[in-house]
Amino acid sequence: MKHRSLSFLLFFSFLQMQGADPSYIQNTDTVSDFPDDAFALDEVKVYGKSAAKKLEEGAFAVNAVEITPNVNRSVTLNDIVDRTAGVKVRREGGMGSEFDLTINGMSGNSIRYFIDGVPLETKGSGLTLDNVPLNTVERVELYKGVVPSYLSSDALGGAVNIVTKKSRRNFLDASYGIASFHTHTGDITGQYYIPGTSIAVRPTFSINYSKNDYMMKGVEVWSEEEDKFIFTNKKRFHDDYFSLFGQIEAGVNNTRWADMFFIGVSYNKLDKDIQTGAMQNKVYGEASRNSHSFNVSARYAKNWGRVSTRLNISHTWDHSETVDTAFRKYSWDGTWMPSSGNELNNKGKTIRVYRRPLTVVNAGVDYSINEHHTLAFNYMLNRRGNDRYDRADRFFEPSNDIVTKHILSLTYSQSFFDQKWQTSYFVKDYINALSIGQSDDFTITGSDQIDKKNSKSYWGAGIGTRYTIWEPLAVKGSYEHSVRLPLSRELLGNGTTVYANLALHPETSNNYNIGVFGNWIVDDDNQVSYEANGFIRHVQNYIRATVSEREGMMQYINEPAIDIKGFDFEVSYWWRHQLQVALNGSWSDARDLKKYKTDGNPSATYKNRVPNRPWMFGNVDVSYTFNSLIEKEDRLRIGAAYQYIHWYFLNWEAFGAASSKARIPTQNITDISVTYSCKKDRFNLSLECNNIFDKLAYDNYMLQKPGRSFAAKFRIFIN
Amino acid sequence: MKKFKFLLLSFMALFIAFGMTSCSKDDDPKQEDDPTIIQDYHFDLWVALDRHGGMGRDVQTLVRSLNSLEADQPEITFQGQGTEVNSILSLETILKGAYYYQVPVSGDRFAKYTIKDNQIQVVKERRFQTNTYSTRKYTHAWINDNTLVIMAANGDASKIIWTKLNADDMTIIDEGTLDVKMPEGGELFTTSGILTYRASDNKLFYFYYAKTGKAFGGKRVTPMMTAVINPANMAVESDKPCFLDCEMVGTAYGELLQTTTFIDGNNNLYIACVTDDADGNEHSHLLKIPANSTSFDQSYDGFTADGKLISVMYVGNNKVVAYAREDKIGTKIDDFSHYYTVLDVISKTSTPITFNGQRLAYSSGRFSSRMAYVNHKAYIGVDAEGQKPQIYIYDVATGQTSLGATMASGYYFEQIRVVEDVK
Repeated sequence: MKHRSLSFLLFFSFLQMQGADPSYIQNTDTVSDFPDDAFALDEVKVYGKSAAKKLEEGAFAVNAVEITPNVNRSVTLNDIVDRTAGVKVRREGGMGSEFDLTINGMSGNSIRYFIDGVPLETKGSGLTLDNVPLNTVERVELYKGVVPSYLSSDALGGAVNIVTKKSRRNFLDASYGIASFHTHTGDITGQYYIPGTSIAVRPTFSINYSKNDYMMKGVEVWSEEEDKFIFTNKKRFHDDYFSLFGQIEAGVNNTRWADMFFIGVSYNKLDKDIQTGAMQNKVYGEASRNSHSFNVSARYAKNWGRVSTRLNISHTWDHSETVDTAFRKYSWDGTWMPSSGNELNNKGKTIRVYRRPLTVVNAGVDYSINEHHTLAFNYMLNRRGNDRYDRADRFFEPSNDIVTKHILSLTYSQSFFDQKWQTSYFVKDYINALSIGQSDDFTITGSDQIDKKNSKSYWGAGIGTRYTIWEPLAVKGSYEHSVRLPLSRELLGNGTTVYANLALHPETSNNYNIGVFGNWIVDDDNQVSYEANGFIRHVQNYIRATVSEREGMMQYINEPAIDIKGFDFEVSYWWRHQLQVALNGSWSDARDLKKYKTDGNPSATYKNRVPNRPWMFGNVDVSYTFNSLIEKEDRLRIGAAYQYIHWYFLNWEAFGAASSKARIPTQNITDISVTYSCKKDRFNLSLECNNIFDKLAYDNYMLQKPGRSFAAKFRIFIN
Repeated sequence: MKKFKFLLLSFMALFIAFGMTSCSKDDDPKQEDDPTIIQDYHFDLWVALDRHGGMGRDVQTLVRSLNSLEADQPEITFQGQGTEVNSILSLETILKGAYYYQVPVSGDRFAKYTIKDNQIQVVKERRFQTNTYSTRKYTHAWINDNTLVIMAANGDASKIIWTKLNADDMTIIDEGTLDVKMPEGGELFTTSGILTYRASDNKLFYFYYAKTGKAFGGKRVTPMMTAVINPANMAVESDKPCFLDCEMVGTAYGELLQTTTFIDGNNNLYIACVTDDADGNEHSHLLKIPANSTSFDQSYDGFTADGKLISVMYVGNNKVVAYAREDKIGTKIDDFSHYYTVLDVISKTSTPITFNGQRLAYSSGRFSSRMAYVNHKAYIGVDAEGQKPQIYIYDVATGQTSLGATMASGYYFEQIRVVEDVK
């Protein structure tokens, strides 16, 4: 009997996977018991692309990160995306600390965050990539520069979209983690279909706590004996972090009137002590930030043949406050002395309260003209209130601002040559509607230059195209003229330290991407995947904070900004399902385009590299999985990850003697992990050691991140 | 023997005569009024890279030390040269002799520094005790060469705190709260006020005012107040409002960037003030507290030109080199509306400084006075529109101006500081 092997290459739009994550997932089944005269196969190998892989092979520059391989580990979404090409997360400290995510050189307000296509801020200001429950997430999509129109975003530098799991089965997923620095995490999520109905209930609960009492190396403490400041190691003592997130959704799937309809409520609470200021020698021992928010939402989707529709409606009550009422000056040894002012800025006592109600409506209609052509229309309403008052500072003048954004987009997509060539064209209309009541300080705020009730429209457009020459070689390119509307704080000020600038223009950027990628199935055991992208960002009317004419007051202004060019790459290799090696690297070069100083004379920094931003970094991840080690269907995965971040200057590099210049030093961080799963991933135990060599590391000048730490996590998954 | 006595007496007579001739130089009013005769010194030029300093701005600051600012020097650049200071030091600083003194950006200490060989060297630091200060936001005065007084409003600006420091080792000699009461209608004191010391009557003069606590700065509710303080025990001996409804030209940052007070050779104390005129423009005044008095001379106003005085630098012989703003041209920090002028405190004249018969161009930078005085010469830096920053040297004795060194374009030229070499 002649035996032959065949491999079928199939593409699935949405294939949920467990375990290792090769770009192509191989399922092997032995075929037997056929009649002798039948065409006999000894096995069928089915290769399917994950949704993440399909997305990466689309027209846009995007990292799509499957979370499943890491769901057993004691990591956050921030930790995971920080290891991807072109992305850098700059942290100020440990769990819950402030962070700034950079995508291809753009960061801060230029990046927008979504969860299932809806702004993440709808879940409350306390929910970030640091505390979204990992076991609810299927993948994270990181769009670089060009953002697809369905996100209806005014992002300038990119967008992060968290895609949650959409299982159609009952399940319970629970985990508990314990780690160094008194860190505890717990997540529970699940889904239950009421028997005999199509009604599903999805509860999610997550809690995180850490004292973040890691050792700070070489901090200054006053020594009475030596009559001077001495450098010593001291533990952080006021950096407690607590976050709680609870959500319950209920709805139906696959009914006559809805493919999906869910309503949900969620609650988010966050308490965070503040340990340091912008520098580690500003030490605080009492100040804190707290927030809580409550959200109601509804989601609906229905396919009507060639037309598919979707609608998301959400309203959030968001309350946050910063408490700074202690007239104390703390030191790293935890001692304090009376102070003439509060901790954060040596001023009066303050309990600053922000109430920021948010309403978001997101609607979309897709129309498939035929198998080659599709039209899509999207609309997003984002209405943000900003009610501020102070419970301790009697001089604070309360204020209430409202900014409403409407973003409309129309996308035309085409696909030819058996989907080898795919192109999308889109236009976006950004409408910023303001209702301005204030008229004081018109010389500063420009309130005399604008219509108090105005609505302005700005246009953006883009194109993305991809052509697959053959499976190991495909090329793609994209362009977008993007617009970022000013935030309410930037436009309307904050009533205390930030002046309004009602004449502020939106930021605009021309984003160009070009990439090459491919997948090479060498043989049954070996696969290679690669991707390389080049990009250019040309930003205009960059919005940045400046200090205004009066004491201590800031104001956001427009400035000619920066040119960023760079590239990133990622290469992955798989051997069977067991060995995975991934390497990525990123390089970018941001140049100051401000040709003239604020006084009109030529600027010395024109075309100089923009300082204080990481510009070269890379990661290596290696993992090996042992299958059926102790019992059948168990897995032991050991992994190591190394991260390199090249040093960079705090200030403009060309000026000043090199010996005098402040630098953020090179970081070499190595993590290791061991994960054991058994009973078809029902029980999972993970052990980790992060920063195993205890290297001193900081992303922001002298704000140290944790040293060596250990973590364990137990997860149970029942379905 | 007689011959020897004659020779000896003759020699002694010559020696005495020579000595008397030498002493007579001290009687020269130019010398008498000049406190800055120093032998070994250099210039520290302070520039910013991202924008002009002042108003609490965090700017990326570089300092370059130069032995000469004469015209024969090469063009001054900071490409690969100078000391990057802004992660430790603020642009706003106290300078005396060879040392910088300040509350550095860490905001938790008093400190004494030198800048040498492109490095900031800590001479001595002292942690705050009871009174704490913010970087930039304090005023100061020297009671003597070794005693420095720091003063500012406290955190909620409800009282004025002071600290007396031994500048040698930065020990805190004493500290406390000034015994001044919040004037009626006032809710906040000025952030720092202006403190100065007059040795002739051994008095500290503290100028301040009260304002409402509204957001966006508040409104002044009193004229400038003058608290006269006994430096020995910091007791307030008098606290009186000014006869003019004015305020000091600088209210928040003491005299860390600009100088708004001086004492002339006759021990008259002057302070630059400003009033809001009916037309909405600010108008400066140079007010005087005569020697041995603690009250303003109501008949005196030493500044009769339009606009606002920014910084005043007494150069002896009743002359003041001033940095002033022509409000009609512009009042923003970056406006090219600032000019250098010589004030005569006797004749009350203001004579803009000229070079080759031409008035020096207007500069930008409200808080960037770029003035230094050493050994009878005033060094001023003009940062004009469309030109490279240019240093001019004003000879006080002759009133002539000569060309100094040129700076490469592109920097925000902030300060010229004369620093004695460390012995």
